[in-house]
Amino acid sequence: MTGRLSAAALACAAALWGCGGGGGRTPLVIYSPHGRDLLSHFEKRFEAAHPDVDVQWVDMGSQEVLDRLRSEKANPQADVWWGAPTEIFARAASDGLLAPSSPTWADSVPAAARDSAGRWYGTYRTPEVIAYNSDALARAEAPQDWDDLLARKWRGKVLIRDPLASGTMHAIFGAIMWREYQRTGDSTAGYKWLLKLDAQTSDYVLNPTLLYQKLARQEGLVTVWDMPDVETLRATTSLPIDYLIPKSGTPVVIDAIAVVKGAKHPALARTFLQWAGSRPEVLEAARKFYRIPVRTDIPADSLPAWLQRTLPELRPMDVDRAYVQEHLPGWLRHWDREIRNRGRDEGY
Amino acid sequence: MARAEGGPEAGAGGAGSRRLTWLLAAPVLVVLVWLVVYPNLVVLGRSLVGPGGFTLSAYHDFFTTRAELEAAWSSLWISAASVFLCALVGVPLAFLFARYEFPGRKVFGALAALPVLLPPLVGVIAFLFLFGGSGIFTRIVQRLLGMSSPPWELQGAPAILLVHAYTMYVYFYLFVRAGLSRLDEGALEAAESLGAGRWTIFRRVTLPLLTPSLSAAALLVFMTSMASFSAPYVFGGGFRVLTTQIYASKLSGSLPLAMVETVVLAGVSLAFLWVLRRLERGREFASVGKGTAARRHRITSGWARWGLAAAGAGGVTFLLLPHLTLLLVSFVPQGTWTTQILPHRFNLASYAGLASDPGLLQPILNSLEMAALATAANLLLCFVAAWLVVRRRFRGRGLLRVLLVLPWALPGTVIALGLATTFSVDRPALGRFLLVGTFWILPLAYFIRNTPLVAQAAVASFRQFDPTLEDAARSLGAGWATIMRRVALPLVLPGLAAGGTLAFVTALGEFVASILLYTHSTRPISIEILAQLRAFDFGKATALGVVLAVLVGGAFAVGGRWLQRGELLGG
Repeated sequence: MTGRLSAAALACAAALWGCGGGGGRTPLVIYSPHGRDLLSHFEKRFEAAHPDVDVQWVDMGSQEVLDRLRSEKANPQADVWWGAPTEIFARAASDGLLAPSSPTWADSVPAAARDSAGRWYGTYRTPEVIAYNSDALARAEAPQDWDDLLARKWRGKVLIRDPLASGTMHAIFGAIMWREYQRTGDSTAGYKWLLKLDAQTSDYVLNPTLLYQKLARQEGLVTVWDMPDVETLRATTSLPIDYLIPKSGTPVVIDAIAVVKGAKHPALARTFLQWAGSRPEVLEAARKFYRIPVRTDIPADSLPAWLQRTLPELRPMDVDRAYVQEHLPGWLRHWDREIRNRGRDEGY
Repeated sequence: MARAEGGPEAGAGGAGSRRLTWLLAAPVLVVLVWLVVYPNLVVLGRSLVGPGGFTLSAYHDFFTTRAELEAAWSSLWISAASVFLCALVGVPLAFLFARYEFPGRKVFGALAALPVLLPPLVGVIAFLFLFGGSGIFTRIVQRLLGMSSPPWELQGAPAILLVHAYTMYVYFYLFVRAGLSRLDEGALEAAESLGAGRWTIFRRVTLPLLTPSLSAAALLVFMTSMASFSAPYVFGGGFRVLTTQIYASKLSGSLPLAMVETVVLAGVSLAFLWVLRRLERGREFASVGKGTAARRHRITSGWARWGLAAAGAGGVTFLLLPHLTLLLVSFVPQGTWTTQILPHRFNLASYAGLASDPGLLQPILNSLEMAALATAANLLLCFVAAWLVVRRRFRGRGLLRVLLVLPWALPGTVIALGLATTFSVDRPALGRFLLVGTFWILPLAYFIRNTPLVAQAAVASFRQFDPTLEDAARSLGAGWATIMRRVALPLVLPGLAAGGTLAFVTALGEFVASILLYTHSTRPISIEILAQLRAFDFGKATALGVVLAVLVGGAFAVGGRWLQRGELLGG
């Protein structure tokens, strides 16, 4: 038996040696919430242009990326962070997690959509929308605006992605809180709105996939989510999900990209950042994945048709990003402690 | 039957023996303190430091917030209720399959251990498809009752308890079954010939002899429930427990609060451990007979025979529903199953995808390799440690006992966080090495997490056989190594193998610690399943889940054969 055990130990050791190599290519590790379809597409494109690089992406929620970078601060595992609202990037920058870079296209990004110290740059504009099950609801029946979500008939029919982990939900909650703050001068009205939404909510859903699944299976009929993801879903699956752009205006998140401070391959990371924001790649993302470029120097007629159609419909909500960024952690804490699942108890 | 007076010390004596004890105890203690205690001290130290130096403000925050106290209370009662429910399911099953002979006993007896195959995350997804608002079972009930909306929502405490009972009764089942098969028939017969009735025998003989198994199982269920993350996270809705609070605090950047929540979580678990040990004290029994295994009652009445068979088969089938659901979903083409009770289209696309994509094979190899390494280390350390705890009395024995169960009192997230913090810098003088981002960090995490599992099994086994057997061997001139190899190892092998098998399969499907520590090249199966879920590919996710379940099944088949060789469990 001893002989067999040591043989097994030898086999283990041999296997260990075996997995040491990586095919000789330089690994480039990217943390990103942009989803498998987009990531594997751009992985192939980048590797085609740089055959000596092995792009390894790790798909996770925006807030989870931040959390992971914080945990790994002393020994960062990622080279590039691609995607998440600029508010989250700003927090990471002030925590000292990002390294500056200077892509050639920096100046064509509006000043509000990039860090003044060059630690992050906006890539895509992501509008938030109201999504609904198109088997169960005709377009005209679905809620047309944010406040419509609070109508009696949607009680128990609203699905919400777990707000704590999701950049999209941060943006929506932040926009609502900002809107109510502007209207009334404090946060009470905003909290009340969120309490009412909580009373309508059937479930807080763990991740986007389960959200789509529950929506398609009619465990809820409406939700709030971001436009590119719903468009991609419509293009790649047969799920009965459609969306509409809220009438009164919608928060438009700016998704950004950054080089991680202390990255193992900083030069390569900067190369990737330069490449991902370049004109052909930004247009590719627009054509294949419904991502709206942040860059202002892209001629309107080179944009895909759907985008030329959608852009005029879009009414960006005027949100004070600095104010929201400052108050969001407190709002979310209050939401988690005093609002989540208390809406119905409070009589809404 | 004799009381093994206090257990340890027997036959130990003399300077040579003491030196041996320390030669073994010192490295074991050093390894455990370094890997279990030290990382948490590093993290804890940081949590007590605010911008202005030492501060208790996070503790103040915790104890004055309604939501936090609610979470602590929920964790506590959910765990206690889980122990109760799991015992309710697992103990009768163990008696049924260990004590009665009826058609189909072997097959269903083995199948009853299957829920351990379901890694928490996969299990939770299977439950969603089965009992969720649009699940198969739910829609059948809804259709039967002619209701317009689902009869229930899979949410909150009932949902969590359902998942816990479903997945953790296995601990009671396996441990009690192993305990029952070690019962000495002679003791039962003696009691019977002394005129004791069935109930008296059960209460005065069987139950005391099963105490180590029962308390080991109760401890594992309680600790696992306290540390359970996937179920409350997915089904909890707004129902708070400490693990989800830790996650939320960490996500929102309140690291000190997350640490306080961790301290409370660990505190409650340690308190339970202490209570259990007090209850156990003075109940350490061992059997001195030659250990003929108890005979199974052959049921002669046809009705009872088939009735038992039907009960066994029906119960086990119900317990296997999540596995069947997993299998079903893995054959469903994407996007074709929406409002129907059962899917109506099937193909093999998901499996074809698994076979053709080398990127999907890598996680399977990774998990196998890392689980094997961790388990090998577990077996070695726990065999020595269990022997020390049960047979020796030395300064530090109490500490060793605590260290062996401590990892269960720490949620996976916390262990992972501790490792990530401690082993992210290279300071050998402080005992800190750069492991984060390397291959070794995950096997290390698995090793730490599963140490209690193997240790409990090994300790329970050592407790059940009489120390005089070792003394006899010693008096016949056998050295320590010979005694271990020829006497102790064969006797505890079934328990060790049972613990080792459990540890291996737990490591194969581990998720909670993995998600914080994996790198792209070392990602385990559970992380790949999560990635597939995120990519909306339920087919590939469940297919990977099925592969994982098959691997675990294979591990049990191998482990089971080993157990049978000892003719103590399963045979």
